[in-house]
Amino acid sequence: MIVLRLPAYVGMALVYGYRYTLGALFPASCKYHPSCSQYALDALRSYGLVRGSVLAGWRLLRCNPWSHGGVDYVEQQRLFR
Amino acid sequence: MMLAVLAVLEPIERPLTSLLEWLHGSLGLSWAWSIVALTIIVRMALVPLTVRQIHSMQAMQAHMPEMKAIQQRYKNDRQKKNEELMKFYRENKINPAASCLPILFQIPIFISLFFVLKDFEKEVLPEYPGSDLHWLGLVPNITDAANSHWTGYLLLALYATSQTASTLLMSQTMDKTQRTLMLILPIAFLFVVLNFPSGLVIYWVTTNLWTVGQGLVTRGLRPKQKQPPKRTSRTPPKERAEPVAADGAEPVEAPAEKQAPSQPRRVKRKKKRKAKR
Repeated sequence: MIVLRLPAYVGMALVYGYRYTLGALFPASCKYHPSCSQYALDALRSYGLVRGSVLAGWRLLRCNPWSHGGVDYVEQQRLFR
Repeated sequence: MMLAVLAVLEPIERPLTSLLEWLHGSLGLSWAWSIVALTIIVRMALVPLTVRQIHSMQAMQAHMPEMKAIQQRYKNDRQKKNEELMKFYRENKINPAASCLPILFQIPIFISLFFVLKDFEKEVLPEYPGSDLHWLGLVPNITDAANSHWTGYLLLALYATSQTASTLLMSQTMDKTQRTLMLILPIAFLFVVLNFPSGLVIYWVTTNLWTVGQGLVTRGLRPKQKQPPKRTSRTPPKERAEPVAADGAEPVEAPAEKQAPSQPRRVKRKKKRKAKR
């Protein structure tokens, strides 16, 4: 069954790659808790590559200057039930 | 994988190149100054996003004491502390200054510029005979790696300084560990940046300086907080009431009144009234 989870692991590797390269180079932090990259990792772990990416993408879109941020865990998502 | 990235960046690379060519050809800027101009254009395009940030930074500054208190209270539990802070933002309708999306916009531009500069001598320069790639007569070639000339190191030093300054300005509300990490990581990455084209470092220095300037303007715009007239041992209810009153946005007298009856102050007042009568 681990083969089925491989795509998600690829996605998670990409997030980690971002974190330790580009993410480290830009002075920024997230307005949400957990941060967007952590959220992406959690989402990919629990929902797989496709749905996890959708959740992470939606979260990134919400992380804009007009939103209020706040506490927002993957478990609280309402996109996929 | 690499090809996919290149294909995604292609539509960004071409307008970037044309913009650089326009700045060079029509405005007569040197290539290096064209990069500076390009950076400024990119950041100006992002200003609408930044206006919100300025407002949120002001709001954050106004609530600083309470946030410090929360950070102090949960200093041993990072998870809990972040949660409480975020709840506090939400309750007080603060938009934290940083958000991921504007940065995400900049990253593709940054990577594209890397590729544009990498192939600059081959692809763009031949069309402009007689133009050279120096900057201020100091940096001999902005498409060469930063570590190829001593001025590159100067640029890197500038980069490190401006990066530190902008991080310091933008991270005032962050917790200590995170802030230290944000300060150390870019310096740790200097050895990677060493191999980047000098022109890219110029872009970076410019964008950092813009951030710093923006931060300073933000600070200048921030209304000065009024000093509390009296000092009392019981500060929490006061702290909560004051910043909101300064905003003048929402009347939050209700909670203050609710709290009042439980305190001895009102009892004293009653006594005074009785005494007057």
